[in-house]
Amino acid sequence: MILDRLRQSFALNPLTVKQWRRFRSIKRGYYSAVVLGAMIVLSCGAELLVNGRALIVYYEGELYFPTYGDIIPGSAFGLDYEYETNYRDLDAEFEEQDGDNWVLMPPVRYGPLENNLTPGYFPPYSPSFETGHYLGTDETGRDVLARLVYGFRIAFAFASLLLLCNYLIGIAIGSAMGFWGGVFDLAFQRLIEIWNMVPTLYVIMIVASIVIPNFWTLAAVMVALGWTAMTWNMRTSTYKEKTREYVLAARALGASNQRMIGSHVIPNTISVIVSFIPFSIATGIFLLTALDYLGFGLPPPTPSWGEMLSQGQKHIVTAPWIILSVAIAISIVLVMVNYIGEAVREAFDPKKFAYYQ
Amino acid sequence: MTSYFIRRLLLIIPTFIGVTILVFTLTRLVPGGPIERMLSEAALAGADETATTSYDSQGGSTLSDAQLEDLKAYYGFDKPVVVSYFEWLGKVLVLDLGRSTRYSDPVWNTITDRLPVSIFYGVWALILTYGVCIPLGIYKAIRHKTAFDNLTSALVFAGYAIPNYVVALLLLTIFSANLEWFPLGGFVSDDFDELSGFEKIGDVSIHAVLPLIAYTLGGFAFYTILMKNSLMDNLAAEYVRTAVAKGMDFRRAIFGHAFRNSLIPIATGFGNNISLILTGSFLIETIFNIDGIGLLGFESLVERDYPVVMGILVVSSILFLIGNILSDICVALVDPRVKFGSGDAGQ
Repeated sequence: MILDRLRQSFALNPLTVKQWRRFRSIKRGYYSAVVLGAMIVLSCGAELLVNGRALIVYYEGELYFPTYGDIIPGSAFGLDYEYETNYRDLDAEFEEQDGDNWVLMPPVRYGPLENNLTPGYFPPYSPSFETGHYLGTDETGRDVLARLVYGFRIAFAFASLLLLCNYLIGIAIGSAMGFWGGVFDLAFQRLIEIWNMVPTLYVIMIVASIVIPNFWTLAAVMVALGWTAMTWNMRTSTYKEKTREYVLAARALGASNQRMIGSHVIPNTISVIVSFIPFSIATGIFLLTALDYLGFGLPPPTPSWGEMLSQGQKHIVTAPWIILSVAIAISIVLVMVNYIGEAVREAFDPKKFAYYQ
Repeated sequence: MTSYFIRRLLLIIPTFIGVTILVFTLTRLVPGGPIERMLSEAALAGADETATTSYDSQGGSTLSDAQLEDLKAYYGFDKPVVVSYFEWLGKVLVLDLGRSTRYSDPVWNTITDRLPVSIFYGVWALILTYGVCIPLGIYKAIRHKTAFDNLTSALVFAGYAIPNYVVALLLLTIFSANLEWFPLGGFVSDDFDELSGFEKIGDVSIHAVLPLIAYTLGGFAFYTILMKNSLMDNLAAEYVRTAVAKGMDFRRAIFGHAFRNSLIPIATGFGNNISLILTGSFLIETIFNIDGIGLLGFESLVERDYPVVMGILVVSSILFLIGNILSDICVALVDPRVKFGSGDAGQ
């Protein structure tokens, strides 16, 4: 009895179930979603996988977990310095001492900001399993793989933030435009038409020459320029939904405008909103990477794909591993995002054709 | 028909005024403009050095006093905003876009000097895109849900997903830096003038291969899928069914009836190519060091050559507006249902 009730209250809308089945049946998009989802989850705990700090240190009968939290000075492990412990050296030293002490390092033993220089050789160093730089280092001796992973996390967080802000503004203004129409609609239409002419990259470069851009200012400028696309889409779909009978019925029952928009129109345009999400994410990553590539993006030494691209181009002949790693990583991620988008669109709006031959 | 186009042309005016106001607002942000003066005063008051250091760290050379005076005179910083806007608009209308601070040539000449290169790439990219997408779209529509359809869909979507500058960098790494099949960039070789006529063509072509691939790859997905979907919509329509039912063979039903109608959505975007042709992608031009309008705009921005930046903005906005009108004309030519004078413009 209770179980039945529970199942009922958690039961999904049959339409949603159908859409989910259709999405799963599109293999390209479904597997991309699985892989990308795993990558996002893993990147949230990137500190545990790719880090210069050890996961666990066992020293003189005590366990240390240095990954999160304050730095532990070298003196805590019987070393002769007060700055942060170099856990790779500590690991080597404990091995040498052959005592009970041990260090457990993450799979990739370098952080994104550490410069690891080998005396007598100039970076960039080529990929090697011996040193643990699986994809080599960049021109200042920072691990390419570590910067790729953290760069992915930053790019994705940035794109998600853009998406959230753009959609909030777009849904609010767009549904108002479509619902009320008239002068309000006309005025915003012209505004958007002119606003769309603003060359995004130009404006950001101008802003970047006035203030030092950081994560938040960059996001603010991009939202200020990027809200139009979703607004336009929402306007069109609200316009369509508004004339449908169920809205008329709600109006006849005396529903307020807010109620008609909030609980009738917007839930029915959700498929439009959802099918735009992957493409918006791709655009966000594209914009941030392009700006970083040109040197107008996040300030150094933030790990960023765009900065790695421009560094890679500088060393295109001497150190092709930099540019190849980052270009391939960007390509794979964006291709997966687009495959997901294509599949979502297909799932929400299956095109069934019948023709006679 | 004439009245339709006249009305359509008149609609440009409000948008043009809006765009020029926007560009004019941007000029207020250039060095020495009111905004920056305000910012630097604020920075001085707060003894906050970030504003000034960021200024130098972006690699731009600061302008000399004489150049600042020129800018002030051209944009009328000393006059009220409304007055200086109309004075500036008057100058723009007679194509006086000021003088480049870098070359000290008139901006209009600087822009037109780079036109041939941009037009060369734009036109070839256009031919390639339509030449590949229309046949591919048709073939995919007929072979819907086959292995060929799935494979090409995966390929064109991958091409669409990867940003064009990443494609450009990948191509450059693989084919220029490592395999050395193609040159590392530029429009022509250094010894171009000494080559014979035939060799010149070869030289331009070998320089053009990689940039053209990078230019066009991203556009394939859009037009191919558009062509495929609209052709399939039409194939499923009643009139094609009728034609087939009456005994017309399938090929003729496609090319005689469905094909022409499915060109309509393709035609709606055709006019916008004019602005793409001329402004190109400045990222690709930067990567391949091609001396087109895109690279000019980027260099001007980095070197703080603001008259050129604003000039390019004005020119490209006007081109965009003209492109919209060209699209309307294309649609009117392909689709006889467009009623001239019914005033569907503005949507």
